[in-house]
Amino acid sequence: MARLDGKVAFVTGAAQGIGLAVAQRFTADGATVVVSDIDDARTQEAVQAVGGGASGIACDVSDEAQVQALVDGVVQQHGRIDVAVANAGIAIVEPTVGSTLENWRKVTSVNLDGVFLTLTKAGAQMASQGGGSLITIASITALAGTPLIGSYAAAKAGAVNVTKTVNTELRQHGVRANAICPGFVDTELVRTNKHVFEEALGIEDFDALIEQKEGRYGRPEEVAALASFLASDRSAFCSGGHYVLDGGARASAL
Amino acid sequence: MEQDLEGRRAHVTGAGRGIGLAIAQRLAAGGARVALSDVDEDAAKAAAASLGDGHVGLRCNVRSTDEVRAAMAATTEALGGLDLLVNNAGIEVGAPVPETTEEEFMRLLDINVTGVYRCTQAALPALAEAGASGDAAIVNMASVAGVVGCPLLSVYCASKAAVIRYTEVCAIELRQAGIRANAVCPAFIDTLMVDRLAPKVAEVTGLDFAEIVAVKQGRKGTVEEVAEVTAFLGSDESSWTTGAHFVLDGGLTGSLL
Repeated sequence: MARLDGKVAFVTGAAQGIGLAVAQRFTADGATVVVSDIDDARTQEAVQAVGGGASGIACDVSDEAQVQALVDGVVQQHGRIDVAVANAGIAIVEPTVGSTLENWRKVTSVNLDGVFLTLTKAGAQMASQGGGSLITIASITALAGTPLIGSYAAAKAGAVNVTKTVNTELRQHGVRANAICPGFVDTELVRTNKHVFEEALGIEDFDALIEQKEGRYGRPEEVAALASFLASDRSAFCSGGHYVLDGGARASAL
Repeated sequence: MEQDLEGRRAHVTGAGRGIGLAIAQRLAAGGARVALSDVDEDAAKAAAASLGDGHVGLRCNVRSTDEVRAAMAATTEALGGLDLLVNNAGIEVGAPVPETTEEEFMRLLDINVTGVYRCTQAALPALAEAGASGDAAIVNMASVAGVVGCPLLSVYCASKAAVIRYTEVCAIELRQAGIRANAVCPAFIDTLMVDRLAPKVAEVTGLDFAEIVAVKQGRKGTVEEVAEVTAFLGSDESSWTTGAHFVLDGGLTGSLL
């Protein structure tokens, strides 16, 4: 019997990167998976990439009505939600000092508002059915100041915190909420912004910095493996936690 | 059971009972061959025998460098190497700060902290050999008491905080050798250790222990749940996770109130 047999899961931001890897892993683990991304075209891309009978519901996670519609849609299709993964996220890479409120809100509306909406609406459904596992894909940037992605990091810190708060409010209903804090993972988001970091930090090779801090870039599949563990009943006592995977970066003062 | 530890050669200290035994059982069920050590040699051998063929029970008092070295040598001889070291052996002292004796303090540190050091040192050559060709891992049993203070557990808290920090430095320094190091931080688990503490906590705090557990962490965790986290951190599933401490506490530390 596979680890997530019989479970119904949805994943936001599932068209690429970590979200796609999570959806693929959950499918391989036997879950019924609903994938979601910001529009129909990207959501269909996710459905194709995941395969295995996955269905799709488009959702802009910064829009309350759309998140409610996603939750309702999953319940309509499959009767329940056992696992919800709040993964959708964006980044604007620029110095925080000198940035604009507009850019700040653009990022936090997805990375923080989106997590708030996803966790609370999916969590309410889980509480009403007697349990479930909420998983937030946060970041190690939640745990320290991070140059050039201040809005991203602040939103991730808020996302970790709201994950813990939702856990305190729903755990008596059998609902667990946990956050995953990956270091820099080899994704499109990181690849496209590498040169911006290099320029602003005055370094020649961002990859070398990552190698020194994290040994190497993480792989989306490695984040997905931890998500699978937290989604499964094997982690039943993991509740309100945040779990770091970063090749050792956070463990070191240097 | 998933064969997530197929082919792994593991050593678990303090494996005669409780969490250590549950970890050994879980690793074996996942396909590992396990050396189970305990200061209670009979318990270690009985536990190993109960797991079936391919496992070995050893005496090991982690306070003795000689015994630790002998146990690691016996492990590599019996299993042909070592991929995973689980430093689980530990004790508790439950006493108010003024009543804690220096003798108790030193004894506890010698087992909970220096014991982890001794086993790690003795296992490193074998782990490095495994790490050179694949994934080698150390999993240290810390505690929520290493993350946050807990009344009556001053010495125990200090020891578990030390284990977490030691784990982090092992992770950083041993990464190049292909060895990962992580810690597990359980809250109150259904074990004899917690049974011993319960009346003392109740007496000193004036609160019913069962009620504390119910409010703070919902219920006691099970030894099997600790074993699952340990197995995750000992397997390829956590290949990019090192220097971390994984808390399992039913929401205890995640809540302010």
